[in-house]
Amino acid sequence: MKRSRLPGLTVLILLVFFYLPIVILVINSFNLHKYGGEWSGFTLKWYVRLFQDDAVWHALRNSLIIAGVSTAASTVLGTLAAYALHRSNDRFQKIHHGLIYMPLVLPDILMGMSLLLFFVAVGFQLGLTSICIAHITFCISYVAMVVLARLQDFDFSMMEAAYDLGANSWTATTRVLLPALAPGITAGALLAFTLSIDDFVITFFVAGPGSSTLPVHIYSMMKHSRFMPVINALSTLLLLVTFVAVGSSQLINKQKGADLP
Amino acid sequence: MSGFLEFEGISKSFGDLKALDNVSLSIRQGEIFSLLGPSGCGKTTLLRICAGFEMPDAGRVLLNGKDITDLPPNRRAVNTIFQNYALFPNMTLRENIAFGLQIAKVPKKEIADRVETMLQLVQLEHHAHKRPHQISGGQKQRVAIARALVNRPQVLLLDEPLAALDLKLRQRMLVELDGIHDEVGTTFVYVTHDQSEAMGLSDRIAVFNHGVVEQVGSSTEIYEAPRTSFTAAFIGDTNFFNGRVCERIDSEYCQIEIEGLEPRLRFFNDKNLREQVRVDLSVRPEKFSISRTQPAPDPLSNTLRGTVEDVIYLGSHTKWWVRVNEEYLISVTSQHSRFLLDSKPIRWNEAVWISWHADDGYMLERYDENDEALLVLSDAGLPDDIPPDEEAE
Amino acid sequence: MPGQRMKGWMISLPSMAWLTVFFLLPTLMIFIIAFKPANPLGGLGEGWTLRTWLELGNPNYPSIIWRTLRLSFYCTAACILLGIPFSYYIARAPERRQRALLLLVIIPFWTNFLIRVFAWKAVLHPEGALKHMLVAVGIASPDTMLLYNEWAVLLVMVYTYLPFAIMPLYAAIEKFDFALLDAALDLGAGRATAMRRVFLPGIRRGIQTAVLMVLIPALGSYVIPDILGGPSSEMLGNKIAQRAFADRNLPHSAALSALLCLCVMLPMLMGTLLRRKRTGGAA
Repeated sequence: MKRSRLPGLTVLILLVFFYLPIVILVINSFNLHKYGGEWSGFTLKWYVRLFQDDAVWHALRNSLIIAGVSTAASTVLGTLAAYALHRSNDRFQKIHHGLIYMPLVLPDILMGMSLLLFFVAVGFQLGLTSICIAHITFCISYVAMVVLARLQDFDFSMMEAAYDLGANSWTATTRVLLPALAPGITAGALLAFTLSIDDFVITFFVAGPGSSTLPVHIYSMMKHSRFMPVINALSTLLLLVTFVAVGSSQLINKQKGADLP
Repeated sequence: MSGFLEFEGISKSFGDLKALDNVSLSIRQGEIFSLLGPSGCGKTTLLRICAGFEMPDAGRVLLNGKDITDLPPNRRAVNTIFQNYALFPNMTLRENIAFGLQIAKVPKKEIADRVETMLQLVQLEHHAHKRPHQISGGQKQRVAIARALVNRPQVLLLDEPLAALDLKLRQRMLVELDGIHDEVGTTFVYVTHDQSEAMGLSDRIAVFNHGVVEQVGSSTEIYEAPRTSFTAAFIGDTNFFNGRVCERIDSEYCQIEIEGLEPRLRFFNDKNLREQVRVDLSVRPEKFSISRTQPAPDPLSNTLRGTVEDVIYLGSHTKWWVRVNEEYLISVTSQHSRFLLDSKPIRWNEAVWISWHADDGYMLERYDENDEALLVLSDAGLPDDIPPDEEAE
Repeated sequence: MPGQRMKGWMISLPSMAWLTVFFLLPTLMIFIIAFKPANPLGGLGEGWTLRTWLELGNPNYPSIIWRTLRLSFYCTAACILLGIPFSYYIARAPERRQRALLLLVIIPFWTNFLIRVFAWKAVLHPEGALKHMLVAVGIASPDTMLLYNEWAVLLVMVYTYLPFAIMPLYAAIEKFDFALLDAALDLGAGRATAMRRVFLPGIRRGIQTAVLMVLIPALGSYVIPDILGGPSSEMLGNKIAQRAFADRNLPHSAALSALLCLCVMLPMLMGTLLRRKRTGGAA
């Protein structure tokens, strides 16, 4: 049977669509021309200007602190939540599941707005702490979902086997359950870290003075077109970090895969 | 009677479902005892109660005279082989086997020695560094056995341990299990729904149905002398008849009249039934001999005339369905020891004679005296879809 | 069993408590604060009022709500229409290529959202590459505006949300039994008929998920119209932020948020009802 060309063509066009802006951005970060309309010569001056910008580094520091704290907290809370959800399916856990699920589907702006209202209403000072609270809140759901998927593959007769061999709850959990869940928990933590580092909308609503994260800082730079080439440089560096991270995780996966029979 | 492992009046319900109903069993030290029955009959629940994963609603479990009913699983001297092995994926085979000993805080040197001995017993010395996902199903099975036995349990519980293996491997593992049992002498309690596994391995078998024990006995007892029609039908193939004792010939035999069958049939009256009592009877297919010519008359033999309605050639034996007097379709099997010598195998639509010895038919424990329904065993377990006065197949 | 002694609710307690305080309560607050008066300092006043809701009658709002719904709907339709052939190709490709293509879809997704939006600003910029190219080819005149209009917003919304559609569509198509298509052709169906009557119903659940995954965040769009749109392409999200930050009128932005919340709930509720009806009919 002759196959339709339509899907193949769509793939080609969409891949160009996906990557075109990113490629142009990278090229422009080395372009002397300020708006990148045409190539007017190679330069590294945007990178130099970026490294001289203290505010960028301050924002990066904030981002890393927030991501670290919210990853740690949400990983613990999310893992516990996933365990509870998996072990029982009563009405209580259905409510619990709803609470975990809703933040995943509600648009960011509603979550940001609602937390802003909450902090204002209870008189909570906006700053790093409020951002951390917000990030933990949305990260819990993602961690819980990732760990839950892993739990669904976990055979609980393994726990029974551990008890059967004399283990108590603590030993069975630490020596059998947690090691088996480790890949899921790690994946959840990585996802939480990425989401926290990446988040703009929610952070923007609950950030206070001096607590700008990198995305919030980039946003304020975007509002002034004189920063455009500097943002290009910064974006290129961030892209590089992403690619290195993705590439190395792929490599690690491949090596792990090679171990299997 | 006091056994090594005793279940006394165990009952257990899950919601509305009664998984076990007042089950009592006594298991002797060192024997292989099978819990056999269809899925959902309660056998696995009883095993899990023994392991401590479930609490009975009523009754006690005694191990070596000690009540262990309320003991948590980690404090019982019993170990379990799980249906899917439940090997810890994050540990090597050696670490898996050493797990129980480490928890019991056995000295390191001793752990190493005992694990090594076990690895040798199950012939996995060369795979000890591997992880569970790197080995085959049969090897996983052996690790699970080693991991349980290394703790020197008083009882080893096996929950359908061969269910995940293919047929060939299953038969080999059965032989291996038997060998291991001979070596260690531990009491085995073996749960299975596969009658051939149970019969091949066990010293004694308890047949379960709907949460009650139908019969306890050796493989031979259960096969040759089934007490109930459930046991007769579940273990192997059989033909059921329902008839009335019309004449006691002597202290051993009686004549039984079966509606729609001529002549009257002779059965061994081991139940010592009085005349006029109705009784269920079972005759196994391999007890028949089948021939084109009428066999020589023999007072201790029953002979029926019929037509072959279907033939299935099964390699090691052939199976015939013989229609007798319209109403009865009797299954008959015959080994092929003389197959090549038989010039012409019996085919479809041929008229045949089938006969069996009076000792080979068996009375089931379900009969009524004086037209009053009297059931020796609870008939709760009788399958409703097999009317006792018709053929089983 | 020892595991059961750790009661389920004790393990659920931390996450339950956290989400109740920092998610459920704030979300309910959106609806409550919409009935509070504002105070001039940007905080909340005393007492209760309906004034905020009456102000939503302002002729500005219906057009913004209408635009939000319209753009989100177009965006969803475009994502599904592009996503189906794309996912179809991936799902039918050899396994190695499947993984490579999926990775190619996800990688731009891993780069920061703001940066992706910003990259488009450079592409569509009046002095940018695309404009120069279009003018050179003669499609656009030098004073055509690529940026700051609804089309720019829609384009980048599709760009941003397309992966959200591709993932569930791919998952559904990958599970689809293609022997069914062969069976349909074998029974005399044309290719179009087979696609319409066998393939699309077969991946119905995937399409439903994809619609929700795109529609809901699209309704809440804020950054894309903010950066790439002009005053004539504002969406509900922009108004919420404006009221909160520029005007410091929290009750007002709460009321708008409540409105958005209802807009989002509606398709979700419809999805659930649709599913319930389907399963109810099958039983």
